[in-house]
Amino acid sequence: MNGQEQIHHPHRTITRIHKIDEVELFLLKRRLELVTGFILVLIVFLVLRLWFLQVHKGYEFEERAKDNRGRELRVLAPRGNILDRRGRLLITNRPSFTVVWTKEDAPNPDEVIKKLARILGDDIDVLLDRIREQSDNPRYLPLRLKEDIDWKTLVYIENNHFDLPGVRIEVLPARNYLQGNLASHLLGYLGEISKEELQESRPGEYEGGDPIGKQGLEKLLEPELRGELGHTLLEVDAHGFEKKQVASQEPLPGDDVYLTIDQELQKVAEEAMIGKAGAVVASEVNTGRLLVLASSPALKLEEFVGGISQKNWREMLDNPMRPLINKAIQGQYPPASTYKIITALAALGEGAITPETDLYCGGSLRLGNRTFNCWKRGGHGTVDLNKALAESCDVYFYQVIQKINVDILARYAEGLGFGRKTGIILEHEKGGLVPTRAWKKKTYRESWQEGESLSVAIGQGFDLVTPLQVNRMIAAVANGGILYRPELIEKIIDPDGKVVKSFEAVRDGEFKGREADLEQVRKGLIAAVNSPHGTASGIKIKGVTVAGKTGTAQVVHRSQVEDFKNENGIPYKYLDHAWFTCYAPAEKPQIAVTVLIEHGRHGASAAGPVARKVLMKYFNIPEKDEPNPAESGAGD
Amino acid sequence: MLRFDRRLLLNFDWNLVIAILLVAGMGLANLYSATYVPGGGASSYFIKQIYFYILGFALILVLISVDYRVLISLNYPIYVLIVLLLCYALFFGSSVANTQRWINLGFFHLQPSELAKLALVINLASFFSRRDTSRGFGFRELLIPMLLTGLPFVLILKQPDLGTALMLAVIFASMALFVGIRWKTLVGMVLFVLAMLPIGWIYLLKSYQKQRILTLFNPDLDPHGSGYHIIQSKIAVGSGLLFGKGFLQGTQVHLEFLPEHHTDFAFSVWAEEWGFFGSIFFLACYCFLLLVALKIASSARDKFGVMLAYGIVSLLFWQAFINLGMILGLLPVVGMPLPLFSYGGSSLLTTLMGLGILINIGMRRFQAGGQ
Repeated sequence: MNGQEQIHHPHRTITRIHKIDEVELFLLKRRLELVTGFILVLIVFLVLRLWFLQVHKGYEFEERAKDNRGRELRVLAPRGNILDRRGRLLITNRPSFTVVWTKEDAPNPDEVIKKLARILGDDIDVLLDRIREQSDNPRYLPLRLKEDIDWKTLVYIENNHFDLPGVRIEVLPARNYLQGNLASHLLGYLGEISKEELQESRPGEYEGGDPIGKQGLEKLLEPELRGELGHTLLEVDAHGFEKKQVASQEPLPGDDVYLTIDQELQKVAEEAMIGKAGAVVASEVNTGRLLVLASSPALKLEEFVGGISQKNWREMLDNPMRPLINKAIQGQYPPASTYKIITALAALGEGAITPETDLYCGGSLRLGNRTFNCWKRGGHGTVDLNKALAESCDVYFYQVIQKINVDILARYAEGLGFGRKTGIILEHEKGGLVPTRAWKKKTYRESWQEGESLSVAIGQGFDLVTPLQVNRMIAAVANGGILYRPELIEKIIDPDGKVVKSFEAVRDGEFKGREADLEQVRKGLIAAVNSPHGTASGIKIKGVTVAGKTGTAQVVHRSQVEDFKNENGIPYKYLDHAWFTCYAPAEKPQIAVTVLIEHGRHGASAAGPVARKVLMKYFNIPEKDEPNPAESGAGD
Repeated sequence: MLRFDRRLLLNFDWNLVIAILLVAGMGLANLYSATYVPGGGASSYFIKQIYFYILGFALILVLISVDYRVLISLNYPIYVLIVLLLCYALFFGSSVANTQRWINLGFFHLQPSELAKLALVINLASFFSRRDTSRGFGFRELLIPMLLTGLPFVLILKQPDLGTALMLAVIFASMALFVGIRWKTLVGMVLFVLAMLPIGWIYLLKSYQKQRILTLFNPDLDPHGSGYHIIQSKIAVGSGLLFGKGFLQGTQVHLEFLPEHHTDFAFSVWAEEWGFFGSIFFLACYCFLLLVALKIASSARDKFGVMLAYGIVSLLFWQAFINLGMILGLLPVVGMPLPLFSYGGSSLLTTLMGLGILINIGMRRFQAGGQ
């Protein structure tokens, strides 16, 4: 029964069992051959699988192993500097401590975000929004959660980094506005790249959360300013800890942009405009270079660093002085008396008047059953062209326009660049409006009224112009009729010092009339500033002959404001816009300056002094040598 | 008492010893790498494993000094001992990661389920060798071995340790098929198992176990969860390419992307660092070991010897095949060591004891007594 007994008692039973065993043993051992075959087949199967994984698909898995451990971090390039025409820095970069977070490394993301929100003093939704915006980025790429944290927060996060898995501080370049808000409208600002911008960009150029130019030159010169990304290849372990830096490529800084803008001049203009809404444009008469392009109130550029808050944005939108509008190119205003230059040129060009033609101003003109007033109720008496321009006589031009017509006037206006964009590089430029009979028919389905011609002749009514257009017009009058495209960029220099782009004057049209006519107008403009009765006599500068034209643009019809007892009682939004446009020196014109002040009332008293300050700075005349111009109510 | 027989030495199978040393050497080198920390030298795992080898070889010496046939009658005592240990582990054992697999022996944690594999082989070999195997077994005759398998199977499943429990079932199936099952019985049993599959899926498997099986077919479903092991293992193996990344150079293991890299997934490390050729060399050595073991089985002098040797071979083979299948992404992830290669004392001692028994059978291929 028991096996052991069989072994230890070698008797006959053993032999019998042994014989049966022999047969069974033989059968079993034959099965072992089958087993051997079976095992070999399965091992060959494993070999084939190894071949498949390591040889056939090997490189694929090698890539995945690299993806596992390799983490390519992008190093943002320092953005190019923006400088003025003389190489004075306007915008450069500074290090900004930015909280970044790698989702992949955080075992419990919600917990980390909750903690971070508390540390940063932010609402958790703000952080979640930022994460959502960058949700298309690869998992291993750090997401930027907050830029520009202060020193205390930085230290706190560094000291508690074990509680904040995946959270790190990165030093990223941020814009440093050395001149504060100077030239804010034309410089523009950066913001976080949007989904749409990301889609339009070339692959690899940007990732979610990257800064990108949103407005102004920062936007338009994005390709030049951004530079080229650098890369750092890190090896990390499964827990996201960096083991070593495998390779790195330094970023290539962006190109430096030199503007045609003169920093000091711009500053003088902007300071003169503090508290006012409006625009100042100054340009080189013979090239089209813009020396000043200011819009007031300025944008607060620092508020845009690291993304502007909803509250600040709302505030800007609600401000009645409309800081978001670049009034120099986007503001469209009635040109008022500055337009008399056009009317004069048209009349001279058509032979309707000569400089000697005398017309009478009795303070008003009746047309049909309407009375058209001169700004000077007492009248100017006998007026020739020179006096009409110098003293800005409305009645003179009421009579002149009746000798030609509004369509001819429009032709001259267009010839001097009105009614179309100047072609400045900046976005959202407005073209203004030069009315014609056909235009009115088309727009209002009404025919032109003769009275409307009278309004247009003195720059009221349908005409709309931008300060930049007015500036270009006066420059063309000064330079003999050439319209230049206004330019902002002097040169662009790459990091190696090579000039990538440099200024070239671009002609954008020409006044088709006679030089003699222009000369007659120039005389009138000189008289406006330099003759004792000139509307802009207060602007006169010792040593420099300025030629200019004032303008006071009605915002609403006179009758609407006549109810107010005195000027001080009129609401801000009903007050007239003040214009002054000029060039100097009259003998050999260099600079054209145009100032518009919204609701500034009188061109001479409000806009004139601003232009004067700019000119004094330009011609380097110390302020104290010149008494402040009398705030003369010299009228229109 | 024991009379020294010169034939014992003559029949000592050096080939098997060479195969064992080759595989064990690779296993140790691999363990060194898998647990290597820069600047740290040999890890405590490595040292411990060396001790287990010493202990294991000592056990082999003890095992080969006694005729293996004593095991025929020791089968039940061994069996009862193992079942008691399994019960102890289940009810009083140390709990690790929600499983009750280990008995704390002070110097190491014994995993009785590993021993149960070998115990079952001995038990079934003993049982079948005492039966007439020339006509094949019917259901009634298989009932007792089934019950013998079922008891530890259930105990291990309760721990829970699906891999080891399945291994017991595989051993039973291998042994039963080897000794012969009648066709009708075989068909009936296969149908029964197929019928039980859905029931087992619903009632026996825990959700994480189901998840592991599902992710086998599509690991990318949950790349950071249940699919992680398979994905990272395949990446490790695949990125080894033809020649491997070199000793201690595997990025998947040293940057800790590969989990369990010194235990169940040890071969991933090997394949990553030694490449296709290294893997083929390893498989060749393993195959050599199995072939030598099969040769011993076919030269054994009696039924018990054949069945015991065969059982040990199938134990080694199935564990290796399931482990490699899992590493290469062919089989679901279950706890299954690669014998002689994975770190783990219980598994190593069990394997070495099994190999000791094999040597024993080889040494005694001629009858010591009689004739």
